[in-house]
Amino acid sequence: MPVPRRTVLEELAAESDAAARETTTVAALAAALEIDERAVEAHLQGLVACELARVDPDGHARVTITGEELLELGTDEMVIVDAPGGSGGSNR
Amino acid sequence: MSDEGTEQSSQDDEVQYDPDSSRYDLYECPDCDNVVLALGRDEPPMSCHDRPMERVTDVEMQVKPPDVKQVLLQAFGLPKAGLDICLCVIGEGPLSASEVADELGYDRSTVTRYLNTLVELGLLRRSELNREAGGVVNVYHSVDLERMRRETLIGFYVWAGEAAALIEDANLTKQDYLEENPDRELPSVFWEEFEDD
Repeated sequence: MPVPRRTVLEELAAESDAAARETTTVAALAAALEIDERAVEAHLQGLVACELARVDPDGHARVTITGEELLELGTDEMVIVDAPGGSGGSNR
Repeated sequence: MSDEGTEQSSQDDEVQYDPDSSRYDLYECPDCDNVVLALGRDEPPMSCHDRPMERVTDVEMQVKPPDVKQVLLQAFGLPKAGLDICLCVIGEGPLSASEVADELGYDRSTVTRYLNTLVELGLLRRSELNREAGGVVNVYHSVDLERMRRETLIGFYVWAGEAAALIEDANLTKQDYLEENPDRELPSVFWEEFEDD
């Protein structure tokens, strides 16, 4: 069953920390969410484009300050992130 | 195609107010020319001259059914792109503005422009979130459905009120002209003269 991108962000925030720069892995996220790793990677790429997540070159991922603040908004509605100069690419 | 056929086709597309329908109701004051539109009401929404308003039942005029995109454009200045953005992201997200632009086939700048228009209309909210690289990121999120319903309905009523005032002004101007010129025909270009006023 497809998992919404927001759910991946919530799990990422639970497993990592922006201020402490603590990261998690795609495998750990996939296991926690019970979905395929490729699905996690696709969602992470989208979250990176929104500046809500960062993915290191070694594949470790963490939530960003922006991602944590977005979750603190507590909105379950649709969200569009308009980052300055955002091109939709990954910072992997 | 003959003019007759075109006219018949045009009439087929028109609609007439149905007092038995529960979609909306028109009420009028039995003592003055006050007419009101009401949605979702079984009873007269107000009284006028200390009497309940009465349901209008004798409307003969037919009108062209409005198209929702035309209504949004006319009333709110919201073109198709704005509506597309609203509909595109329902149930999804977070999405980047670039993803929305790619999905809809618009420029990224177009998406940003209409996101801000939707905020001005009260259909979206904008929040500023801090970026790790410094500065802020604009985040657009939908208002709750009840608020959106209220904002769009009141916004449309304001527009409809302005339109009704224009029609009433035109009728009064026509009435004034006929009173001032009882022996003259109404000029055929009357409406154009009115527009100049």
